[in-house]
Amino acid sequence: MIGYVLKRILTSIPVIIGITVITFFLLNVVPGDPVVLMMKEHISPDVVERVKAEMHLNDPVYLRYIKYMWGALHGDLGTSYKLKNRKVLDLIIDAFPNTLKLSLAAVLIAWAVGIPAGIVSAIKQYSFIDNFFMGFALLGVSMPVFWSALIMQYIFSMKLGLLPVSGFAGPKYIIMPAIVLGWSSAASIARLTRSSLLEVIRADYIRTARAKGLKEWQVVFHHALKNSMLPVVTIMAIQIASLLSGAVITESVFGIPGIGRLSVNAIQNRDMPLLQGTLIFTVVLVILGNLVADIAYSYLDPRIKYE
Amino acid sequence: MKSRYVKKIFVLMTVLSLVASLLAGCSSGSSKQAGSQQGGEKTLTIALTTDPGTADVQLTTDAYFIPLNIYDRLVEAVTTAPGKSELKPGLAERWDISSDGKVYTFHLRKGVKFHNGEELKADDVLYTFDRMLDPKTKALNTDFLDMIAGAKDRMEGKADSTSGLKVIDDYTIQITLTEPFAPFLACLATPAGSIYNRKATEAAGTDFGVKPEATVGTGPFKLSGWTFNSEVVLTANKDYFLGKPDIDKIVAKVVPDADTQRMMFENGELDVFDCDNALSQIPYFTKSDKWKNQIVSGPRVGTYYYAINESIKPFDDVRVRKAIQYSIDRQLLIDRLYYGIGTVAKGIMAPGLAGYNPDLPGIPYDPAKAKELLKEAGYPNGFNMTIAQITDRPNTLKINEAVQAMLNDVGIKAEINQMDEAAYFATRKEGKLPMYQADWSADFNDPDNFIYTFFAPRNSVARSFNYANAQVQADLEKARVMTNMDERYKLYQEIEKKIVYDDAAWVPLFHLNHLFVVQPKVKNFKVSWNGWSNMPYYEVKIEQ
Repeated sequence: MIGYVLKRILTSIPVIIGITVITFFLLNVVPGDPVVLMMKEHISPDVVERVKAEMHLNDPVYLRYIKYMWGALHGDLGTSYKLKNRKVLDLIIDAFPNTLKLSLAAVLIAWAVGIPAGIVSAIKQYSFIDNFFMGFALLGVSMPVFWSALIMQYIFSMKLGLLPVSGFAGPKYIIMPAIVLGWSSAASIARLTRSSLLEVIRADYIRTARAKGLKEWQVVFHHALKNSMLPVVTIMAIQIASLLSGAVITESVFGIPGIGRLSVNAIQNRDMPLLQGTLIFTVVLVILGNLVADIAYSYLDPRIKYE
Repeated sequence: MKSRYVKKIFVLMTVLSLVASLLAGCSSGSSKQAGSQQGGEKTLTIALTTDPGTADVQLTTDAYFIPLNIYDRLVEAVTTAPGKSELKPGLAERWDISSDGKVYTFHLRKGVKFHNGEELKADDVLYTFDRMLDPKTKALNTDFLDMIAGAKDRMEGKADSTSGLKVIDDYTIQITLTEPFAPFLACLATPAGSIYNRKATEAAGTDFGVKPEATVGTGPFKLSGWTFNSEVVLTANKDYFLGKPDIDKIVAKVVPDADTQRMMFENGELDVFDCDNALSQIPYFTKSDKWKNQIVSGPRVGTYYYAINESIKPFDDVRVRKAIQYSIDRQLLIDRLYYGIGTVAKGIMAPGLAGYNPDLPGIPYDPAKAKELLKEAGYPNGFNMTIAQITDRPNTLKINEAVQAMLNDVGIKAEINQMDEAAYFATRKEGKLPMYQADWSADFNDPDNFIYTFFAPRNSVARSFNYANAQVQADLEKARVMTNMDERYKLYQEIEKKIVYDDAAWVPLFHLNHLFVVQPKVKNFKVSWNGWSNMPYYEVKIEQ
C-alpha cells in the first residue's frame, strides 16, 4: 500500500508541472496586461511601460516561467501582481481555513442528509417519501447556487432575522452557505445512493439473506449498503476535493474570504503568481482527494488490492 | 464481519462532522451588528465591493478608502458645498509660490504626530515623495508628482534622489518643478499626495500597506485590522491634530454581491448603502417611507460619455461623429435609466470643476440632422458598427442597448460586443477598442484632470480615441504651464469647445448625482465634492 501511495504521488509531479506550463503560457496568449488592469480607467501609458519593465514583465515567457518555478521549488510562490507586496503563500494560507470550514460543514450536511435520504428512498421505492426526497434532490441539483443563496438570505435573514446575511465571523455565519453548498452535493449523493442500493437490493445474495429470515434493516445495512457504497464514495471524494478548491459563487454571495474568490480575482487581474499558486494548491488537493478515494475502495472492498 | 465496514463509514462520518463543527465553532463570534455600540463604542459599518489590496496609496490608482482616512496631505481638497471643493491647509499650515510658479515652499504644522508617536518633519515629506518616484517602489501614481524637477531621472533610475525636493529645516520643505504647473497644489491634495513616516515605512519594508501595525499615517483613523477579502478595521486616532473623530471604529466589510449588500443594509448589518451598486433599487428607496428621508445625495464632478475611435472607419469623418452626437436622446436616458437623478452633459468638464463652462450650447437630440449628416458623409443607409463593453456590467449594458436603439433610428446598426475586462482594457490601451461608454470623475479640481487625461497625444491612443488635432494638443501643453488662472481656464474652455463641437471627438452624455442611503443613527454624512464612493469619514457622527 505504501508503495502504491508513493507511486501515485510521484506520478502526480508531472501532472502539476504540466498544468503550470499550460496555464502560464495560456495566460500569456490571451489578451490582458496585469499593469493595465491595475490602472484601468486611470491608465497612463508612461507608467504602464515603466512598471512593466520594473516587474520584468517584458522578459520572454519561458524565462519568467523558469524563474517562477525555481522560486516555487524553493517554497516561494512569489508575490501577487495586483495585491502588491502580498505573498501568494500567505494569501492561500489565510484563505484555506475558511474554505476548509465551509467545505467540511457542507460535506457534513451533504452526507448526513444525502445518504439516509438515498437509503430511505431505495427501501420505500415509489412511495410518497421516495418521491419527496427525490423531488428535494432534483431541486438541489437543478437550483443555481446564487439563487438558492438569495432565497435563503431573504427568508432567514430579512424575514425571520435568524441569521446574518453575509460575512464570516462565527458559527452562525456558516449555516446558510453550508446548507446552500451542501444541498446540491446532498442531492447527488441521495440519488446515487438510491440507484446504487436499488441495483444491489435485487441481487441474489440479498434474496438469500431475506430467505435466511434476517430482518429488513439487517439486510439493508449489513448486506446491501456496503456493496452499494463504492460509487457513492467515489463521488464523495470528488466532491470534497472540488469543495476544497473553492466554491466561487457561494463565497462571493456570502462574503467568505476563501480560495475560490482568490482564484477568480487572480484570473480577472491576470495575476499570474496568484493564479499559479491557487492552481498548484487546487491540483494537489484534487490529486489527494482521488488518492483517498482509491484507498477507501480497498477499505470498503477487500477484493481491491493495490500493489 | 461485514457490518464492521458500514460501522466504520459511519464512525468516519461522525468524526468528520465533529471536526467540522469544531472548526466552525473555533472562529470567534467577533461580528457585531452595524453601528452597534458595545461598551459605548461607536462603530460605522460600510461595505466595499472588492478588497482594497493595499493601503499604500503609491501602489494603487483607485483603492482610496483607507488612504483617505489614515493619512493626511500637505493640502486638502475640502468639500465646501455639494459638488464644490476648496484647497485648504492640511499638514502644511501655509505655503509660498515663487513668482515664476516653479518653486513651492511648504511650512508644516508643528506638533503633528504619526500613529507611531513620531512628529511630522519635512524629511518625512521628502521621503514620501521621493519614495513614489523611486523605481524600486513600482509606483502607479507617479503622474501626480512627475512634474517635480529631477522626477524623470529618479524614475528612470539615473539618480538616487529627486533634485527638486529640498528640506530647508524640520518644518519647511521646498519643491521645485521642471516647469510651472498650475494644478500642482490640487495634485498634492489627491490621495496620492498622502504623507508617510520615514522611520515606520522604511522599517516596514514590504509589510507597509499590508500589515496594519506596519502601516503608519497621521490621519484621523489608524489601520487596526485587516482580514483579506473579508474586512478592514480602522480605529479612531485619539491624538489626531484636528481632534478625535466622533466615531470610534470603521468596519469596512468586503461584500462583492450587490444584492447581498442591499439585504445587509436593510437588515441593519450595514450603516451605509451606496446606490451605485444597485441603481435599480433607487425607486424602491425613494418611495419607501422608511428610507426616503435617509437618502443622501450629492453631485458627482464627473461626466458619462462615449469615446469614438477615430482610427476606425467611418469615424474618421467628422460628419459621422456629429451624426452620432445628434442621435442620442440624453434626457431620455437620464429619465428612464437613472430615474432623473442627473443633468444632460454639454461638454467634457463637469459642473463643480474649476474652469467649467456653463455657457456651452449643448447638443440637441436631432435624428433628422443626424440622418442628413450621414447622407452628406456618403452613408445614406447608415453603416454597421460595434460598441464595446465589459461583460457583467448591467448598468453599461442598459445604456448601450438604449443607444443601440437610438442609433438604429438613424440607420446605424450597432452591435454590442461584451468583452472580458482584461481583454477590454488591453485592446483599449492599444488604441483599438471601438466606440465605448465610460465615465470619469475628478481626481483633482482642475480642467487638466479632464482634458489632458483624454486628449494629450499618448493618452488619446491609450484610451482609444486616437484624436489628433495638432493645434488643440499644442494648446493643451501650453495650458499646463500657464499661471494666470483666468486665461488658463479660458484656453481650456476653447479647447473643450473645439474637441466636442468642432471635432466631435467626444460624445457627452450626462452628469449623475451619487446617492447613498444611511441608517437613521448616521449623522453628518456628506457626499464628497467629487462624488467618489471612497470618502473620508472624519466628520461623520453616530447618534447614541
